[in-house]
Amino acid sequence: MAPAGMLEIDKVTRRFGELTAVSEATLAIPGGQMVGIIGRSGAGKSTLLRMVNRLIEPTTGRVAFDGRDITQLRGRRLHSWRASAAMIFQQFNLVPRLDVLTNVLVGRLNRIPTTRALLKLFTARERALAIGALDRLGIADLALKRADTLSGGQQQRVAIARALMQEPRILLADEPIASLDPMNAKLVMDALRDINRRDGITVLCNLHTLDTARAYCDRIVGMAQGRIVFDGAPEALDEATVRAIYGTADRALDERITSTSIGAAALPAFARA
Amino acid sequence: MLAGFFPPDLSLSYLAALTVPLMQTISMAAGGMLIACLIGLPLAMFVGAQVRGARLAYGLLSGLRAIPDLTLAILCVVVVGIGPAAGMLALAIFYAAMIGKVFADLFLAADWRPIEALRSVGATRLMVAFYGLLPMTLTNLVSMGCYSFECAVRAAVIVGAVGGGGLGAELVGTINAFDYGRATTLIILLVIVVSALDSLSWLLRRHPRAVLLLIPLGLAALWANWPETLALRHAATTIGGMFPPALPLPALQALPRLLLETAFIAGAGTLLAAVLAVPLGLLAARNLVPAPVAMATRMLLEVLRAVPEVIWGLVLVTLVGVGPIAGVVALGLHSVGVLGKLYAEACENVRRAPVQALEATGARRLAVACYAILPLASAPVAIHTLFRLEWNLRAASVVGMIGAGGIGQALYNAQQLFFYDQMMAYVLITWAIVLLADALSDWTRRRLGWATVIA
Ligand SMILES: Nc1ncnc2c1ncn2[C@@H]1O[C@H](COP(=O)(O)OP(=O)(O)O)[C@@H](O)[C@H]1O
Ligand SMILES: [Mg+2]
Repeated sequence: MAPAGMLEIDKVTRRFGELTAVSEATLAIPGGQMVGIIGRSGAGKSTLLRMVNRLIEPTTGRVAFDGRDITQLRGRRLHSWRASAAMIFQQFNLVPRLDVLTNVLVGRLNRIPTTRALLKLFTARERALAIGALDRLGIADLALKRADTLSGGQQQRVAIARALMQEPRILLADEPIASLDPMNAKLVMDALRDINRRDGITVLCNLHTLDTARAYCDRIVGMAQGRIVFDGAPEALDEATVRAIYGTADRALDERITSTSIGAAALPAFARA
Repeated sequence: MLAGFFPPDLSLSYLAALTVPLMQTISMAAGGMLIACLIGLPLAMFVGAQVRGARLAYGLLSGLRAIPDLTLAILCVVVVGIGPAAGMLALAIFYAAMIGKVFADLFLAADWRPIEALRSVGATRLMVAFYGLLPMTLTNLVSMGCYSFECAVRAAVIVGAVGGGGLGAELVGTINAFDYGRATTLIILLVIVVSALDSLSWLLRRHPRAVLLLIPLGLAALWANWPETLALRHAATTIGGMFPPALPLPALQALPRLLLETAFIAGAGTLLAAVLAVPLGLLAARNLVPAPVAMATRMLLEVLRAVPEVIWGLVLVTLVGVGPIAGVVALGLHSVGVLGKLYAEACENVRRAPVQALEATGARRLAVACYAILPLASAPVAIHTLFRLEWNLRAASVVGMIGAGGIGQALYNAQQLFFYDQMMAYVLITWAIVLLADALSDWTRRRLGWATVIA
């Protein structure tokens, strides 16, 4: 992997009124890594990812990419940064009334002039790219369907195709499989890893189950109450740390960290990687 | 006197002569709505995209919407002169605010998640609005747009009454010429136009794309109604004459009486309507009376409702003379039409089980109505009546302009005498009344937990 594409999150804090959602988070992620961020609900995972894309502004601290501070970007530069840090959401967040192809082409909006965007004039090349992205995810045949007629798994793959259209440097996936059944969850996680391995795109993926993170990620970051409490290889994650991440004296703990949308099925795929 | 209104003048020559004011009214509505959409839609998108300053714009839209259409019309008549251009301009302003506010509300209520996703790809706010807000709210936009157009045609009739041209102006003309038979013809025409509009908007709701056909109509209307001489300097001095708004001492002393009179017109008009609407509503409820009776009552209510307060006012001023009584009866007649229909629906919508339980005891229809249906329907009836009261407070502040008493009459007199500073003062007072009525009814609704809007 090229050493370029380093994402540095430096003492980033975000407060919502009294509440500190993310507290002094510091991470350095070299280009091409696949990182799983784990932690219980409310730990601050989503807030952290959104701050990287700048959907949420940090209260203090700094995020830099390739040495460039991205927390200060405004206007056009902010928009092109967003385009290069693609996001994927738990609820897919496609525009329901538009067709699949348009939902994918939307990923290109940052690169085309406003007039062309408002007239919905996409070039043949852009359309071909969109079809290509859909094809890579195995759903090119759905291109002309309305997005809200698709199943959850299909919608999430459309969302990934939209992200691919952005030709991003980083992919920020916020609980991408939390609303999916095991089979679709595996399809989606496999697709993310394929993008990571083949295209060398850094992937930051919020996951609330541990074994998915173990199965797919090179590196695991654990968050609890807004703080980063673990950062290391999956093998380094011992039981005490897991308890610190998911909270102690919790009888449901075992179930939470092992019950997952992807069980043993993920292992052969892992072996392939 | 009343006999003078019959028979209506249905001679071919008069009917043919009416095509001009009819076209004028429709074109005022179409042209006004076109401008309103061109201004209101971008404003709404601006608010919906939550750009900086959007909150202020939203406040301005809500505020502007509280100026009654007839008040705007009289202002426009002063500035651009008597004729359809003034009416069209007034409608354009009123509906720009209305469309801006209503569409902004729709945009703000849209699912924020796809919007956030569009922001995350690095699209500009304009693109986000275009690819997210518009497609997600399209159905609602179209049906609200149709509803607004319907309202605009009704409004286009009444702005004519203060000099805005069209059918309203024709009606004032016939009444001033004691041509009451022709006035009746005009009112019949109005009822026909309104019911035709009902079917049109039903059609548009089923085929939303047909809305685009209204664009050439609007353009043609703009071209036809464009003010011939846009006397900018005249307009500027006229507007200048309105500021600062001021009332001389006698007018100030008369103000409390005027305000009371306005409140009286609203209150008494609503009361009159509610009292009449109870029996009429029962007679129109299909689950209470034989179908032909219900049908006939409904027709009557429909006619009462199709004629706006201001038009009833014009007729009543000739019948009972200038003053608040004309206003009370005018508001009462229109409101009976509205409330009677709503009361009937409230009766038809009561839960079946308690009614059947009473029917099973062998109770007669009247007993069933009194002991089962009326108590069950009382909550919606109360809500509708309260809404009507709020509406009538607005209406009461404008019917005066055609001589039916209250603050509107003072406003009209000031305009007729070219006291533009006084006129502006009354405009601001009217505005304050409407804002107050809005706030009061919001407050009551929240206190009583009636969140849903039943218009
Ligand atoms: N826009 C917001 N306003 C107020 N509080 C928020 C907002 N977004 C997140 N929070 C709070 O910040 C904390 C972290 O939330 P989040 O980042 O969504 O956690 P996670 O994704 O790990 O479940 C939670 O307590 C949440 O309620
Ligand atoms: Mg989350």
